[in-house]
Amino acid sequence: MSAVDHGSALLPAEESPPPAARPPLPARRRLPQRLRAAATRLAMTTLAGLMLAAIVHIVTILLIPALSQRDAAHAYRLLGAEGHAELVPLAASPGGMPVLQEADPNEVTAVCGYDLSAGPVRVVARTGTLPLGLTLHRQGGGVIYAITDRAAIRGVLEFLILTEAQYDERVANDEEGETSRELRVVSDSARGLIVARVLAKRPSDRGDAEALAASVRCGPVE
Amino acid sequence: MRILDLAYILGLGAGLGLVSAHWAVAGRPAVGKVEVGSWMAWPGSGSRDVDPYMRAYLARGVHLPLGAGEGLQLIAARSDDGAPLDGRCRYRISGSVPTTRGWTLEVTDAAGRPFRLPLERASFTDAEVVRSEDGALAIMAAAPPQAGNWLPLPPEGRFQFRLRLYDTPVSGQTGETRATNLPQITRVDCR
Repeated sequence: MSAVDHGSALLPAEESPPPAARPPLPARRRLPQRLRAAATRLAMTTLAGLMLAAIVHIVTILLIPALSQRDAAHAYRLLGAEGHAELVPLAASPGGMPVLQEADPNEVTAVCGYDLSAGPVRVVARTGTLPLGLTLHRQGGGVIYAITDRAAIRGVLEFLILTEAQYDERVANDEEGETSRELRVVSDSARGLIVARVLAKRPSDRGDAEALAASVRCGPVE
Repeated sequence: MRILDLAYILGLGAGLGLVSAHWAVAGRPAVGKVEVGSWMAWPGSGSRDVDPYMRAYLARGVHLPLGAGEGLQLIAARSDDGAPLDGRCRYRISGSVPTTRGWTLEVTDAAGRPFRLPLERASFTDAEVVRSEDGALAIMAAAPPQAGNWLPLPPEGRFQFRLRLYDTPVSGQTGETRATNLPQITRVDCR
């Protein structure tokens, strides 16, 4: 009984400071409370939406390279089936291959698609007087290897592209105690492009540059 | 009300997520950009560990970026005074170019395509440029014909300069390159 008395005695004492605003208090309090609840709810749902947006953003960015069918790896996949790199078209032609974007007009580009599921691929390039660069572009983005003709030995650039498993097998098959001199590049994707670029510094060099770029050989290891 | 909340969350998440992802990789991403003077470069684009934004940008078109050991592409969309490059102005490109086996300087639109101009000269290579007696570089870029090394510009509108350095030691340390080692782009006057 005394506890109830304390409660009933305390309650009016606490709420007494605004005595004038007492009669309309319940109605007034209901509206701000509902507004506050709605605002809290909106804030929480917006926060959840923003978090979901961040997840969607990251997943989209990561999925674009894997899902894209318009990238260079798909456009030029079939080039180089005859054992040597083939020139990439410079101007768009109806029904033809897509044009390389952001390409240097002074440069000749030849491409050879590789597929390591059939075995390692050997790339052999003879160097000339014009600057030559060879790069390996992995399907899904990333240049896994780049070499220029300054690294050529007796005018020849030669290397092998292998998967991790093929590399291990090749190392296991190496002659005991002998160091292998071949250059081995491990590709973590089975498919990709070998890109040969030759800089034609003068318009008259273009013929030589095209011949040099297209002479890069790429094919299965015998 | 619960369904309304869920629809709001899903709509906001999917809409904002997809739009922001598209916006982030519609052009060259700001992530991984290195600025030297008025030149911009993305040295990570030609490496094995290319960042996800650059990878997504490159995968959305037929791109074959220069390898990190092969060369470096620098893009300028502004002159040295900070103003956007405009076809109505004349620009002088002078100074030095880092050690390379060859370089080319091209005038392109924002997507990297050359303009279709009456005179077929979209670019200069290091072998084509005529130098003065002291070996200094001076290229004039303008729509009307100029004396010396003239690089024609479109009559009006925005454009970009693209400087490609082949087989250069700069590509591995682009961030440490000083602006004085790259060509300066000076706006001479405007129509």
